[in-house]
Amino acid sequence: MPTPATSDLPYTDTKPVGSPDFYYGINATFRFIIRRLGLDGWRSYLEEMGRGYFAAANQQWSDGGLNAVARYWRAFFAAEPGAVVDVVEQADRVEVHVRECPAIKHLRAGGREIVREYCQHCYFLGAARAEAAGLTMRLSGGSGSCCHTYARPSAGLPPQDMAQIKEARS
Amino acid sequence: MIGCYDFCGHYEWTFGWFERVGGHQLVLEYWDEAINQDSQRHARDLIRNGGIPGMLKYWGHTLLEESPNLGFHISHREDVFRIDFHDCPSRGFLIRNQLKNFSDYCDHCMGWTGPMMAEAGYVMDHEHDHQGHCWWEMRPASAKGGHAAPGSVAGDKDIRFHPAWPKDPAKLDRYTKANYPDDKMK
Repeated sequence: MPTPATSDLPYTDTKPVGSPDFYYGINATFRFIIRRLGLDGWRSYLEEMGRGYFAAANQQWSDGGLNAVARYWRAFFAAEPGAVVDVVEQADRVEVHVRECPAIKHLRAGGREIVREYCQHCYFLGAARAEAAGLTMRLSGGSGSCCHTYARPSAGLPPQDMAQIKEARS
Repeated sequence: MIGCYDFCGHYEWTFGWFERVGGHQLVLEYWDEAINQDSQRHARDLIRNGGIPGMLKYWGHTLLEESPNLGFHISHREDVFRIDFHDCPSRGFLIRNQLKNFSDYCDHCMGWTGPMMAEAGYVMDHEHDHQGHCWWEMRPASAKGGHAAPGSVAGDKDIRFHPAWPKDPAKLDRYTKANYPDDKMK
């Protein structure tokens, strides 16, 4: 099956949804980096990935504005098995309401020890991507349900309060 | 959020990041410690406890999930377990999306399955062409000799009969009775 000529995702696969066991790999990668390089090293990894690997998606956001952000997250979660998500567009922001996080759900179902900082990755990665696209990003909640907000700078979102991001529980 | 739909993309990007941050040794340790001993511990347990039937159980499930279009073929006997990839779902994702951040993505398979097989008492013969085609034969560590003749285990499903399989050996990465990426015989 060919890759679609147009997609709201920069990288596409021949399968409609990903293989959920890969969440084990993501969780294990975070554990390895934190153990070897510390939390600062893990944050650098996520921020560099946000600016590097996700550069094509960030450009789509930069070119297409908040509507492109909303389309991206709808397409993204449609390809994540078990996700229950609402994407709400407002004039100055997009809110991604994650009712059921597919990663946390699968890691728990598989009996995996979830890295307790797991949910912070969405903030460090998302904030780096948003900045590259001229936006801001905030995160609240975690451990299975949360809200990501991508906004224009003019929205004047308060600084991220890290206490608003919950530890992930296995 | 980092997703699973494009896992192979950011996984490959991660190899390059590790190499820049900590060199080749950190990449090797990542494949063994994070992937073999942590992420894929279900595979490790099945194969250490079950041997070749455990391999069949693990790869029979995981390859169907990753490659529902059956871009692979599994063969097995009492003394050997073999996989032929005619269209690797993982490498194929990178090729289709033109992603490259690491010197040889294909090395990650030996990177995590090699140590896992060593722990379970198996060695591997393997070749890959970097284009989504490869073959693997797992045998007990006591096995000797070179590669088995084409077709002797997988019949006409042997990737070495595929028209796209390189005729020039220089285009192949080759392992014989190996367990580690640096065992590569280029």
